[in-house]
Amino acid sequence: MRISLPLIACLLATVIPVFFGKLSVTPTWLSLQALALGWITLNKNEALDFHALEAGLEILIIRAWLVPHLLRRTLLSTREAELDVMPSNLFAWGAAVTLLILAFQFGNGARADVRALTLGVAAATVTIAFLVLATNREPVAQLVALLYMENALALFESLMPEPWPLPVHVAVSGVYVGTVVVGSWLIRSRHSSSLLAAQSREDGR
Amino acid sequence: MTATVSIVKNTADEECAAVTRWVSPALVGVAFVMWLAAVGVFVTHPLSRLPLYFANRYLVLDATSMLFMLVTNTVFLGICVYLYSRERNTPALTSDIRTRAALMLMFMAVLNLGLMANHLVLLWTLIEISTLCAAPLVARGERSTSHGVAWRYMLYSAMTLAITFLGFMCLTQSAHLRGVEVSFMVDQMGGALTRQSDAWQRLGLSFMLFGLGGKLGLAPMYGWLPETYESAPTTTSALLASIQFNVSVVAVFRILQIFHGFEAGFVSQELLVMGYISLVVAAIQIMACNNYKRLIAYACVSSSGVIALGLSVGKAAAYGVVLYIVSNAFVKSLLFLTAGRMRAVYGTNEVGPLSGVIRTLPLSGFLFAIGIFALLGFPPFASFLAEMLILSGIVQAGNLMAFTLMCVMLTIMFVATGRTVFPMLWGLPKVRMAPPTESWITLLPKLGFVAVLVMLGTYTPDVFTNLLRAVAVSIGG
Repeated sequence: MRISLPLIACLLATVIPVFFGKLSVTPTWLSLQALALGWITLNKNEALDFHALEAGLEILIIRAWLVPHLLRRTLLSTREAELDVMPSNLFAWGAAVTLLILAFQFGNGARADVRALTLGVAAATVTIAFLVLATNREPVAQLVALLYMENALALFESLMPEPWPLPVHVAVSGVYVGTVVVGSWLIRSRHSSSLLAAQSREDGR
Repeated sequence: MTATVSIVKNTADEECAAVTRWVSPALVGVAFVMWLAAVGVFVTHPLSRLPLYFANRYLVLDATSMLFMLVTNTVFLGICVYLYSRERNTPALTSDIRTRAALMLMFMAVLNLGLMANHLVLLWTLIEISTLCAAPLVARGERSTSHGVAWRYMLYSAMTLAITFLGFMCLTQSAHLRGVEVSFMVDQMGGALTRQSDAWQRLGLSFMLFGLGGKLGLAPMYGWLPETYESAPTTTSALLASIQFNVSVVAVFRILQIFHGFEAGFVSQELLVMGYISLVVAAIQIMACNNYKRLIAYACVSSSGVIALGLSVGKAAAYGVVLYIVSNAFVKSLLFLTAGRMRAVYGTNEVGPLSGVIRTLPLSGFLFAIGIFALLGFPPFASFLAEMLILSGIVQAGNLMAFTLMCVMLTIMFVATGRTVFPMLWGLPKVRMAPPTESWITLLPKLGFVAVLVMLGTYTPDVFTNLLRAVAVSIGG
């Protein structure tokens, strides 16, 4: 029960914006996902040792604040922020529900076994991210999907008998920050180059 | 007014050149130190003393990491020397050299760590970080679509690595259902596997191979490769094709080392299918290609197909596969760097306007011809020997279907490549231009690559042969 609740919170923070949210609110949901991850980490580590402290700080600073903040800045500079995370149509919704059910086939009796539930939530996060990638052509939405995948990896760590060591942690955090930094840079530069192209077309008329 | 703007621009360029003059020599210096370190490790650590574990066993120095560190650092040194020679004559490159050099060094440092990683998740994240370093380099291409291409490269890479990650999850589930704890340490993970038929384990293995296959440019997930290699600056294309490719190969080798003795038939089938499709796709695309950079890119898809076919055979072809991978690193760099020179002179990647390259650019044209012959597997280059060893391994394994398909597809590619490239090299020039001077520094790395290719194909020192053999044994040879 102690871990089931944050796991369900993490799943809801993943699923709700995909079904009902606009891209502009995804930073908030990513922060909520990160807080749920932090809750899971704290529950898993009984004593406040170096690893728990390091993992907690990484989640709070990088996943709950820095990356959502950078993503929000990128969203402010694009017009696509008001689009749905996933197109609202029956096909996409049906596919999403099917993927969620399939993800939980990872563990039979998920309600009884926290480990299987964790694997189910991680798999659901990855498959939902794939669905967003497949259904949305906007780079910003695709960037959000990539960040979902990275959060699934962080959740996956809680399945390990021993937590990942510091080098692996640093590398995983580096990927998370790097994805949003490089992704935002590419999106902004694409956006400005398309604006320049439109302006030069205007000037040519 | 125009003259004033021109003077101001020239002054700004000169100031920029003065400020950044030290960057490319420093880059070459660092690359040289890295190469010396790789050679030093190779000379001072006999194979009998390997593997050596360090950093709490998260890093390992074994035959695989040693071989690929040697190869990738040699190629990197060549690329840096080429960049140094190009930067001296290209103002646009001068203004951007600091960022490029920093990204290249970060890329190489991360990949050197990746080569030594003894933890699958660490290796996975390091490959992903290298992609994040490479994406801004890809975006520096001259075409207006370069940013879009860089974005798709990053996206594809993240997707292929996410599929690999799904594989990790399936393996964890497989171990959990059997009541075993799984560790992702390469040297310990075999203990969590079962020889019984296990659907989760097979699913995990197939996801990992499929995901990494996408990173190698194996069909069906090869779509990112041709457009990325074509659109990126040539030094970046060479970095991706010769260095990042080899680190992805090492990731596949690590999986084969973990699964040594487990699921051999299943691994073989999956690699065989991906290899078949890649060869067919590459042959068709090369036939329709009229762009020399894209042609090299499709040749990379075909090389991945040959490697997959060779790995699927296992024991008999393992040595040939390792030699093929090593030789390909030098062939691809040679071709991309020469293509860069041609692009700089002609300003296009299209084959049509380049008719008669060998008259305008005799040395570059000659080196491109050598690269194409090495790519097609002509003697005396190492690729000839390697392809012969792979084909003989396939025959020994009794897989005549694979033998026939590989021979037919390689013949089609040979004819299609010749039809496109030979008129470009030896045809009548369509554009009259004075032969531009070629500095010896630009030629130096390419000549070095040719020397290595000839040496590997004719005489390989025993100490290097033993290293190749040790890697082949580690993947089941």
